[in-house]
Amino acid sequence: MALAYTDYYELLGVPRDADQDAIRRAYRKLARQYHPDLNSDSDAEDRFKEIGEAYEVLSDPEKRERYDRLGARWREQEQETPQADFEEFFTRQGFGGGDAGMDFSDDLFERLFGGRFGAGPDGPSRGPVRGFDREALLELSLEDALEGGRRRLTLDGRDIDANFPAGVRDGQLIRLAGQGAPGRESGPPGDLYLRIALKPHPNFRPRGEDDLDVDLPVAPWQAALGATVPVQTPTGPAQVRVPAGSSSGRRLRLRGRGLPKSGGGSGDLHAIVKITVPKQLSERERELYEQLAESASEEANG
Amino acid sequence: MNSEEPVELIVVARRAGVRIALVRRYLEFGLFEAHSERADAPRYDPGSAARVAQAERLRRDLGLNFAGAVLVCELLDRIRELEARQ
Repeated sequence: MALAYTDYYELLGVPRDADQDAIRRAYRKLARQYHPDLNSDSDAEDRFKEIGEAYEVLSDPEKRERYDRLGARWREQEQETPQADFEEFFTRQGFGGGDAGMDFSDDLFERLFGGRFGAGPDGPSRGPVRGFDREALLELSLEDALEGGRRRLTLDGRDIDANFPAGVRDGQLIRLAGQGAPGRESGPPGDLYLRIALKPHPNFRPRGEDDLDVDLPVAPWQAALGATVPVQTPTGPAQVRVPAGSSSGRRLRLRGRGLPKSGGGSGDLHAIVKITVPKQLSERERELYEQLAESASEEANG
Repeated sequence: MNSEEPVELIVVARRAGVRIALVRRYLEFGLFEAHSERADAPRYDPGSAARVAQAERLRRDLGLNFAGAVLVCELLDRIRELEARQ
């Protein structure tokens, strides 16, 4: 009997003595606010269901009366005889005591013709319809996104295996057919859309749609004289030629080494020269730098 | 994103989980349109099923009429477009 008690009045934001009009108004407003087709918050679907349940009970004078009287236990009478047939129903109600205050004939009517659960605010439900589409976030590292693969997600206690193709992009939607909310009245389920979110990468920074930036550490003499230096690309190490006389901030473009483009091909990788001075110099290096400094100042003064 | 071939109206109805008469009603209200102009065998975008289901849920849950449900779907499209531009 440890049923969680939900205060339906509080849920709809109406006082306990609210009339039917006030309850309907409150329900309609909240239904518009939390309808999962209109509200993309992850808890909107649950809220919408709760509101529907509250309205189902409070809009029905019989159920409301039972709810007011029994609180959390208002449903017990219903659950005692699931799918009871006629005879069983009569027998149990007739001799089993039951709830003395219950209006017996109306309850029977409701059992025969079904409750209003799942029905709209203005009438009975009208047959099956496909369930809501859902959306979930799938966070991937840049490497995983480039490589493609499979992830196991747990949504609403269900494990879902999601395959994602190589080259998925930030913000891209992947559709998993039939993995959304269950359909109503045996309608088909909705779809699940996974929205790809690329995690920030320690080395690569996105630039525009398909390009990436990466820092390229270069020693001062390499920057001055020119050199071929190793560079990290998303698909592995490569070499890049640094032209003589490159200053920090110079962009060296590696064509086709960026992110895959949606229409085929790939963007570019921009290696940005970052002149890096060794923290500690050897004796010999210090000498050479001093000579360099001398010759530079001579040239400046001469 | 949806690379599937266009489908018949009955397929739209089945995927939306509703009767074909209801799908025709939404077609009359312009919720979606035929893919090709071939009048003898019209085909529809497979995404129409999700659209019909959405309109129908909105119509039932919020007490809208057909025109209202179609209008809300169109406004939702507009909102999505505007959000995507940001």
